Amino acid sequence: MNALVALCHFCELHGPRTLFCTEAVHPPSPDLSSQAGVPVPGDRDRDGDREGEGLTMRANSSATQTGEMCEGCRSLPVSHPGFVSIDDETGIRFLSHQHPRQSQLFSVVRQACVRSLSCEVCPGREGPIFFGDEQHGFVFSHTFFIKDSLARGFQRWYSIVMVAMDRIYLINSWPFLLRHLKLTIQSLQSTALKVFDSEQGVFPQRAMRMNSVFSPAVLPHQRNGNAARSLTSLTQHPNLWASLHSSFSWLLKASGSRLTEKLLEGAPTEDTLVLIERQTEQEEEMSCWEGAEGGGSKHHQTESSLSHDFLCDHLNDLPGPKIRSLRHLRQVLGVADFRQLAWHVLMGNQVIWRGADPGLIQSAFTELKSLLPVGCVRSVPYSPQYEEAYKCNFLGLSPDVPIPAHVSSSEFSVLVDVTSEKSCQVSAAGDDDICTMYQFSLRSANTQPTDRGPSLLNKLEVALSNENLSVDVVSHCLLCLKEEWMNKVKVLFKFSKVDGRGREDTQKVLALLGATGPGEEDNVRLLKYWMTGLSKTYKSHLMTAVRGGERSPSQ
Amino acid sequence: MSIQYEVEQLADSYGVADSFPKDFGYGEEEADIEDSPAPSDSKPRILLMGLRRSGKSSIQKVVFHKMSPNETLFLESTNKIYKDDISSSSFVNFQIWDFPGQVDFFDPTFDYEMIFRGTGALIFVIDAQDDYVEALGRLHLTVSRAYRVNPEINFEVFIHKVDGLSDDHKIETQRDIHQRANDDLADASLEKLHLSFYLTSIYDHSIFEAFSKVVQKLIPQLPTLENLLNIFISNSGIEKAFLFDVVSKIYIATDSSPVDMQSYELCCDMIDVVIDVSCIYGLREDGSGSAYDKESMAIIKLNNTTVLYLKEVTKFLALVCILREESFERKGLIDYNFHCFRKAIHEVFEVGVSTPRPVGPQAVGSPCNKAVALNGTPRSTV
Ligand SMILES: Nc1nc2c(ncn2[C@@H]2O[C@H](COP(=O)(O)OP(=O)(O)OP(=O)(O)O)[C@@H](O)[C@H]2O)c(=O)[nH]1
Ligand SMILES: [Mg+2]
Repeated sequence: MNALVALCHFCELHGPRTLFCTEAVHPPSPDLSSQAGVPVPGDRDRDGDREGEGLTMRANSSATQTGEMCEGCRSLPVSHPGFVSIDDETGIRFLSHQHPRQSQLFSVVRQACVRSLSCEVCPGREGPIFFGDEQHGFVFSHTFFIKDSLARGFQRWYSIVMVAMDRIYLINSWPFLLRHLKLTIQSLQSTALKVFDSEQGVFPQRAMRMNSVFSPAVLPHQRNGNAARSLTSLTQHPNLWASLHSSFSWLLKASGSRLTEKLLEGAPTEDTLVLIERQTEQEEEMSCWEGAEGGGSKHHQTESSLSHDFLCDHLNDLPGPKIRSLRHLRQVLGVADFRQLAWHVLMGNQVIWRGADPGLIQSAFTELKSLLPVGCVRSVPYSPQYEEAYKCNFLGLSPDVPIPAHVSSSEFSVLVDVTSEKSCQVSAAGDDDICTMYQFSLRSANTQPTDRGPSLLNKLEVALSNENLSVDVVSHCLLCLKEEWMNKVKVLFKFSKVDGRGREDTQKVLALLGATGPGEEDNVRLLKYWMTGLSKTYKSHLMTAVRGGERSPSQ
Repeated sequence: MSIQYEVEQLADSYGVADSFPKDFGYGEEEADIEDSPAPSDSKPRILLMGLRRSGKSSIQKVVFHKMSPNETLFLESTNKIYKDDISSSSFVNFQIWDFPGQVDFFDPTFDYEMIFRGTGALIFVIDAQDDYVEALGRLHLTVSRAYRVNPEINFEVFIHKVDGLSDDHKIETQRDIHQRANDDLADASLEKLHLSFYLTSIYDHSIFEAFSKVVQKLIPQLPTLENLLNIFISNSGIEKAFLFDVVSKIYIATDSSPVDMQSYELCCDMIDVVIDVSCIYGLREDGSGSAYDKESMAIIKLNNTTVLYLKEVTKFLALVCILREESFERKGLIDYNFHCFRKAIHEVFEVGVSTPRPVGPQAVGSPCNKAVALNGTPRSTV
């Protein structure tokens, strides 16, 4: 967080002036000496040169006036060392003086000051306003009046500005800044009002000024004389600057810790989160067993079966032909069967491959799994008996394993039988002739049309059939499609599960997500199925974030 | 105060060129501005510039907002440009921009070229009761920069607050300022840049008179109006006639006989009387109606055989004449001639309506054909 707060004043004699400025200096600061909090005399001397604000007031301004300054536009005398507060936690120093000590901030503050008092005045004259640009920084400005019986209009213009380069940060801090600056401003105004009232009681200015007009002897030749009064005398507040320093420093510190910026170099995908979660679960499980049984064969088996599921590397070492990509699988199965199979995968149905070659089946599963978020994948690569759908959605079986009737008649499963052509032996033959070596037959009791949706599959098929796109490009395309739909899943989850909105509202959200229209039913099924694959981290984050309500800012 | 969180506002605040929010500072007028068809920024501007406390805001308030001169003692210093649009209530179809004296508009924060580009007249106010050396420096800087951006601007210098000066002192001050300012221009080889000087004060009519001259220079129809007035008075036995902007008491034209301050003041006072009386007695019970309308007219006979005669010409304009009692015996003739005069004035400004109304300096001194033809009308009817 890089910001500074300044009090500015529109001086009747000298125009907009910076009165008092609090800046934050971060620890490894080259222009600060090692003695904490003790201003270096040399530094201040240099500041003395700048005191005149010749910077942009040239025109007012023959050289003689460059140093011109009256009581009204001065806070601390040049000789004053200024104020320093140190935040022990962060080591940040808050420095206050009439002008910022970091020279590059000088013109930034000057610009903010001129604009806050002479251009971007809040329409109601007193109040907050926001302005700025990338070059000069963004400014939250609050203008206000302080009563002064000697001022031409009986009041003087002031503003408190907060300048930062981060627009979003400032805008987000708006309500917070407004609330706290108001307190500061109100206390200044109310003390000044008391002073004003007591002065008016003693010496009513209105009458005095009226009289002076008609007695030319006392005609006020006062354009240069009659120096404006200081804010200290207007408020009769002996520790005015010290207390402004502490309230500005607090404001900088508090608004800094209210909002912190987090830089994410590529947010973790759901897949990464799920993988991490599974890994920790697995580690916990292992340590459980270790405790109970003192370790043993079972432990090792679990470990290896888990790595089957997720890493599936050792199966790749199996000899024989392999499915190399989704496009390859599509060629092998034929366009129509591929479409059906992919549809079943995306809808969360159980996909069973039965055949003599576990290596081939495994390679097909690897490609098919890539259609789903990791959280949705449960697979049993090659099993001697049928496993229920709740255990796995990818199941590899040896050729002679019977399929129970309730499964083969279910519309929620699909069976691919891989049979060898008799003429051909599994050999070291090239991969290219999988089709000549094997026959694939696909069976399902499903009666739903599989050619309408989901939209993700439609798009993927366009990519797969476009031969101009390399396999690599297609897989990136799939990755993007999955991310896109995963984001929709998150919105839907937040909306229907966390917020518990009704059907009608949910329908509206679906329309918004672009899940309606042709293939709507499939899209909705996909979204609901994929919801089960969200990481626990994400789900519980959403739950607590929403349940916990807005965390109150540090006050 | 609630949070001002308008998108518009945010957007406005980005560009430096937009650094002058459309905020006129004078509450009541704002609603009217919204109604005016032309975007208010396209109207020619009259700028009031000068050092702090020289009296700019006072001039603007006294001339256009009827502020009493004493009240100006309590005006606060101006912190930003206040743009005042008075075209809804006045013939003066300009924006008057009141500048803060302390702020340097040649600072890169501001787009001074934008300011000067649409400017018809620049009034530079100098406080004659103060040492004016600094003011002269500033005057030179301002006019030379402005001239470079827009050489069409009329440069007017008000030597202001002369109420505190003796007559000799006034003349001497004017001579001195005139001399020095022109020397500075000559040194910068800007002889072509013409400055006009006026002695002004808000405590008498001099400020109205000076502002009248400034405004007249910006009215392209001026020669026609003067012509019409000349014809009208010579055929009606009238000594002096002013065409007044009722609200500001600026006279936008008079016949070619010399103006003496006293007769101008007399006419100003008459307008005040007429408006005040009809404000009190002329409005309907419920307060509706206007203090100045088609029926407005007044005759005041003074005890020195002088007669003052006021009649409505347009919504914003009134004709005020000064004449001898014996001339006023032929009132029927005067009224008939007035009728023709009024018709001619309406026709002059109708031309102005069909062409865009803003009267810019570029058209000065080119009376239109239609008006020339009209010039004959009153004479032939006498
Ligand atoms: N005697 C006298 N005083 C005047 C005259 N005009 C203005 N003043 C006084 O001059 C003072 C300053 O007037 P302002 O109109 O506020 O000055 P300004 O030029 O607008 O000043 P800034 O806004 O600070 O630039 C006030 O006290 C007025 O009463 C005048 O004609 N004669
Ligand atoms: Mg002013």
